[in-house]
Amino acid sequence: MIVTKNINFYYGDFQALKNITMSMDANTVTAFIGPSGCGKSTFLRLFNRMNDLIDGTRLEGECLIKGKNIYDKSINIDALRKDIGMVFQKPNPFPKSVFENVAYGLRVNGIKDKKFIADKVEETLKAAALFEEVKDKLHKSAFELSGGQQQRLCIARALAVEPSILLMDEPASALDPISTAKIEELIHELKKKYTIVIVTHNMQQAARVSDKTGFFMLGELIEYSDTKKMFLNPDKETTQNYITGRFG
Amino acid sequence: MNKRTKQKFAFFFFRLFSIIIVGILIAILGFIAVNGIKVINWEFLSSMPKEGMTEGGIFPAIVGTCYLIIGSMIFAVPLGVMAAIYTVEYAGNGKFVRFIRMMTNNLASIPSIVFGLFGMALFVKGLNFGDSIIAGSLTLGLLALPLIIRTSEEALKAVPESYRTGSYALGATKLQTIRKVVFPCALPNILTGIILSISRVSGETAPILFTVAAYFLPSLPDSIFSQAMALPYHLYVLATSGTDIEASRPMAYGTALVLVVIVLFFNLTATLLRQKLSKNMKNK
Ligand SMILES: Nc1ncnc2c1ncn2[C@@H]1O[C@H](COP(=O)(O)OP(=O)(O)O)[C@@H](O)[C@H]1O
Ligand SMILES: [Mg+2]
Repeated sequence: MIVTKNINFYYGDFQALKNITMSMDANTVTAFIGPSGCGKSTFLRLFNRMNDLIDGTRLEGECLIKGKNIYDKSINIDALRKDIGMVFQKPNPFPKSVFENVAYGLRVNGIKDKKFIADKVEETLKAAALFEEVKDKLHKSAFELSGGQQQRLCIARALAVEPSILLMDEPASALDPISTAKIEELIHELKKKYTIVIVTHNMQQAARVSDKTGFFMLGELIEYSDTKKMFLNPDKETTQNYITGRFG
Repeated sequence: MNKRTKQKFAFFFFRLFSIIIVGILIAILGFIAVNGIKVINWEFLSSMPKEGMTEGGIFPAIVGTCYLIIGSMIFAVPLGVMAAIYTVEYAGNGKFVRFIRMMTNNLASIPSIVFGLFGMALFVKGLNFGDSIIAGSLTLGLLALPLIIRTSEEALKAVPESYRTGSYALGATKLQTIRKVVFPCALPNILTGIILSISRVSGETAPILFTVAAYFLPSLPDSIFSQAMALPYHLYVLATSGTDIEASRPMAYGTALVLVVIVLFFNLTATLLRQKLSKNMKNK
């Protein structure tokens, strides 16, 4: 589904990613782990070209999604981002109602049919396991929700435009344990329909939610394998050390 | 003297000075209110000046000031807000933008009489509008422009970056992001800036002196190319060059009171609006 070939990425002179070759399968959850500052977010942002928004960056190598090089000139970036949803570290709902937050992606993609939008909002709120909690405050400000609810709202917002891939950058790091559990449960549910790539700081979380895990350090992909193998019997000593908490 | 006594002493003076400042403000307002309120009645607000401006009202000056406010804002608001959107959202942080920013800041500190002179040269003479509402509005608009640009820029910059990235990540274009997320979110603060600039514009005398203001007009202006009377200039006329200055003194205080009430009204609206609208805009 996602294939990268010899990716090098630079912020100005600083090389944040070093020669990363990796492939992620459809309908699986791939987790990126590694100490902070090792380039996990940078790598994730490559897939929906969010790094384009940062000045002075440079990319070498290829990034193929569904077989197409997404850095090709012929690629429509807005369409790409519609197809590849993203959930951020800190919940970032818009200062709009719950309903309008979810409807936003539909509206900017040219959908006007009111009935369709209303149905879609309900459907995605259900898919994000949020509908029961917010059905009476659909037209209240999203800021009235709790942090965990806001994050699930952001997931719903991303799902509304029917992406095929969902990128999540430490989606639970700002949340309490109960909200975190809800998000993890949700990820289990979502992987039936979506390809999910999740960055996490939390090793147990990676072990719980992912099928495959990539371990990054200082911009390099150190090891990449099935999550089970990674946590029980990693090939590299650095991985072993990191997982058992000897650094990071 | 030990530390505590020193502190008490210092705080005593801080408090004293604040009280003095508030006292001075209240004295000014009170003075104008007491002297002005005597002449304020419906006739004063709604009729033309009479008997060489010693009788009658200030209706044409109120109307003129309203026209000038509306005219200057029609010109300055779209231009200022669009300039701010350009510099904050599109132009990045290069040399050109820093230059624009420096120029707007300089523009804001130019004395208003200079704007008046410039307005006369460009609009009254250059474009041949003559002394007219349009020339005055454009001049006042120029004066308000830096203020509107600056407050709008601040308003846009205060919009969290995460709203923009959130919007782009859903496939929105830059223009959509600005129109549907950034601008609505910045609007309360932009409006506050606009209202403050209205209050500034409504009180200015110098820019209208050579561009629109008439000493006395027997009738209301009938087009944007007519001259108009305006409150601040009317006040100046009443206080310095009426036919009988002593006799028109109460009229001057009445005019001042109306002007002050208008300005305070706009300032108060700005404050209330900011409080009310920004409450809905804050996340916990
Ligand atoms: N916008 C940026 N400009 C410059 N350097 C950046 C930027 N974002 C991240 N970096 C640098 O790139 C490296 C990787 O960052 P990041 O991808 O955020 O790491 P992680 O998500 O693994 O914590 C870090 O050294 C960080 O300082
Ligand atoms: Mg990160």
